[in-house]
Amino acid sequence: MVRLRRTLVASVIGAMLTTTAIAQTMTDVGTPRDETLIVQTFDGRAANASAQNPMNAYAIWRGFRELGWSWLWEMDTATGQSYPELAAGPVEVLNDEHTQFRVTLREGVYWSDGVEFTADDVIYSLDTYTKYRSQLGRVAVIANFVTSWKKIDDFTFEVETSRPSYDFQTVMGVYTWGSQFVIVPKHIFEPQGDDVVTFQNTNAVTLGPYKIKEFDPNGSWQLWELREDWERSGWGNLGEPKPKYVLYKDFGAEETRTLAFVQNQYDVDTFMSPDSIQAAKGRNPNIESFSPTFPYHDMNDACSYGVYMNLQRAPFDKPEVRWALALSLNMQQVGISSMSGQFKAGALPLADTPITNPLYYAPLQSWLEELTLADGYKPYNTNFGAELTEALASQGVDASELPTGDDIERGFGMGWWKHDPAEAAKLLESVGMKKGADGFFALEDGSPWVLEFVIPGDWNKVIQRIGFSIADSWRQAGFNINTRQVDNGEWTTVQNTNARNELMINWSQSCTYNSNWQNSWRQFDARYVLPPDSTDPLNGNFMRVTDERIFELVADSAKLPTDDPQFLENGRSIAQHLTEDMQVINLMNIPTTIPTNKTYWTNFPKQDNFYAAPYTWWSSFKKTVVNIEPTGQQ
Amino acid sequence: MGVIAFVAKRFGLYLAVLFIGLTITFMLPRLMPINPVDGYIGQIQSRANGTLTPEAIEEMRANLEVLYGLKGDIFTQYLSYLKRVVIDFDFGPSFTYYPAEVSTMITTALPWTLGLLLTATIIAWLLGNMVGLVAGYFHKKRAASILEFVGILLYPIPYYIMAVTVLLLLAYIFPIFPLSPTFPVGEITWPKVGMIIYNSLLPAITLVLAGFGWNILSMKALAVATTEEPYVVYARLKGASNWTRMTRYVFRNALLPQVTALALSLGMIFNGALLTEIIFSYPGIGLIMRTAATGGDYNVLYGAITLSILAVATAGLVIDLIYPLLDPRIRHK
Repeated sequence: MVRLRRTLVASVIGAMLTTTAIAQTMTDVGTPRDETLIVQTFDGRAANASAQNPMNAYAIWRGFRELGWSWLWEMDTATGQSYPELAAGPVEVLNDEHTQFRVTLREGVYWSDGVEFTADDVIYSLDTYTKYRSQLGRVAVIANFVTSWKKIDDFTFEVETSRPSYDFQTVMGVYTWGSQFVIVPKHIFEPQGDDVVTFQNTNAVTLGPYKIKEFDPNGSWQLWELREDWERSGWGNLGEPKPKYVLYKDFGAEETRTLAFVQNQYDVDTFMSPDSIQAAKGRNPNIESFSPTFPYHDMNDACSYGVYMNLQRAPFDKPEVRWALALSLNMQQVGISSMSGQFKAGALPLADTPITNPLYYAPLQSWLEELTLADGYKPYNTNFGAELTEALASQGVDASELPTGDDIERGFGMGWWKHDPAEAAKLLESVGMKKGADGFFALEDGSPWVLEFVIPGDWNKVIQRIGFSIADSWRQAGFNINTRQVDNGEWTTVQNTNARNELMINWSQSCTYNSNWQNSWRQFDARYVLPPDSTDPLNGNFMRVTDERIFELVADSAKLPTDDPQFLENGRSIAQHLTEDMQVINLMNIPTTIPTNKTYWTNFPKQDNFYAAPYTWWSSFKKTVVNIEPTGQQ
Repeated sequence: MGVIAFVAKRFGLYLAVLFIGLTITFMLPRLMPINPVDGYIGQIQSRANGTLTPEAIEEMRANLEVLYGLKGDIFTQYLSYLKRVVIDFDFGPSFTYYPAEVSTMITTALPWTLGLLLTATIIAWLLGNMVGLVAGYFHKKRAASILEFVGILLYPIPYYIMAVTVLLLLAYIFPIFPLSPTFPVGEITWPKVGMIIYNSLLPAITLVLAGFGWNILSMKALAVATTEEPYVVYARLKGASNWTRMTRYVFRNALLPQVTALALSLGMIFNGALLTEIIFSYPGIGLIMRTAATGGDYNVLYGAITLSILAVATAGLVIDLIYPLLDPRIRHK
């Protein structure tokens, strides 16, 4: 009897496992696994997946940006150079003021329903963006940028802008990960009339080489299928995309995702924690991080993490206080405790990437080395990367996993500030701030100084961990820190409101991706300064810069082409002013883990194969789908 | 008290609870330190990598306040809210997912939540009470202690630990169920129904296990106390069988508090099961509510909380009304 029962149980389990094994050759959505690239969604699960009107908030994630829509100009994320996509070439400038432009479109491009793409689609889109600008949620940038436009012929149109624009291609096209200008099909949208503002556009007609095959109305997954006529799509000229299907799916909490990744259920993840990646790599040799050696992960995001202080409020209005905070921060300890040492530090107020390094970091390295505070102290530590390497080695990290030689700078950055609490105390004492009986620094009048440090809650766990480590570092140095985690809604309110802002982790104004620094720093303008205790919302300049030298540089640069050497020089000067007065404590590049699984697909972008940024949610992902290769695994 | 007066009093109380609940629902999100306009702009901003210009932010801020109905004094907004909710049962558009209608978002997600939680709650209640009854009635026997041990063992396990353990066991070590299910879409067919049930089994098992323990323990305690009641002793002396005493004397009397608990927990299922949704990639209303709370999406919060208040208050009313049918003592009064 017992034997019979065991046999039955074994048969049932065996049948189940066999079924599972067979099912693994097909995906859950009924496509052959070896023809399907499966990607974890960036935004988890969407609450209204049917809303696919790009003029409203949704329809950005799960493939729309990279596979669905198509842009006038795209960004080559390996070089930082803009290149034409729907446009036939670079924009033609029509006047000396750089406000009038002519754009010629590529001919022979078709929407996914077979209708030809023409200038009429562009003109209709611009008409709609401006006519319904008060009712559409995602058109404000373009509606503010253009003042008039007209069709010249089926494949040519002209536009006039509201300001001199030397960055026309990256405003109307892509600067980093997508464009604010999504062109919609006139033949689908125009019949909606005024209802276009609430039009859902479910099963959107798109321009890219993939079309929506099916999606989950509950927002868990979306399946794209390669168009038969992909060559005449918006970026069919880039080459043949290899996967016949691309499935975006939310695999749930990180624990579940890690297990599913180990089981080869999907090919590319987004932000998986270093611990989970380590565990997954240990169980599946096909799982790879961005780099085989430290810091393992991609560090090429456009933005960088930093501590933003309210420069308008005492005592943060004093450079000595800001420098004291920077020199009290033990970056090595912060990086090891919060990121297991897997980070790349940067002292300038922007990310240190292969694109920005030769433009900003390398030219300013000697300036940083010579930078001297008022008391003669030199705060820069060029040896930061080497010291971090030694610290990691002393903690037992295998030498083969640590960078050597020039790779140390490439991996851990060119340097950061010294950790010198004694100098920090000296600086604070120079402005009358000494430690009280409680062991914490007090204000000039001797009253307690409690710093409120705002960090994201669970919605950004990476920066949450970094925030706690920073607070710990400051507390050890004698700052009475009150760390407050907030939800993303409140985080934005704190960022925008002077009266509620003191000290926070932020990245919104350090998104300089290439030589065109205007996207982030154009906001350094007296128009975006409010009184220190104002409760009105700020619309820009979240670093609260009031430095007239910087305002002048920004104003002067507005009249310069972004490829003019003086323009770049002005950008470097802004970076220098922000740094020498420590107007922002830049911390590190944003680490983006992006582990991949090479069981079914190979040749993903990696440190030593950097043909594009590896992010699946940037429009540069189109280069990935063109370059990856099937392994032949069934 | 006559039947009409009894029903009228309960119904009046029900309406008062609804009115107070709706008023508190209106006020609560506005006391949060989150501005929904900032929430939306922040969301767009974080996706824009610095391409959102100050001019655009300024324009969006002005437009959104109008679109969201946040212009005007709070009393006018309150009256408009009551009119929309009470008369039209319309919660307006979601702020975070503008212009998606809140009612559409809820009606898409709610069947999934109800399907899973309703089934799991009832199964956990039935199983827990049956086991608890046997454990309580035969509390002096060794087997009863083992049943109680099951309850004691399951009850304190945090749901998250329970869920991850079940997932590891039944989806990873023994891959009987999918780790991250894909629910079929489109026209419903029998195979698709089968797939939905199969995909829902793992979260359902976890929810049953999580709810099971409390029901065992509470029913066991009630059954033990009831077993000692004089009327049960009298029934035994009269020669009634164990089965008769357990089902007709002990169970019926111990059941009353359990029915109240069931009704209230049925009302609570409208809040969804956020952890279940996240861990098992299960669709439902929990994640919508969480997103709304973190982004200051008042309308979605109004929709979801109002529904929950309605469900809990209605469950309370139904219990009040059917109690006399279950308990002759109340009927007598």
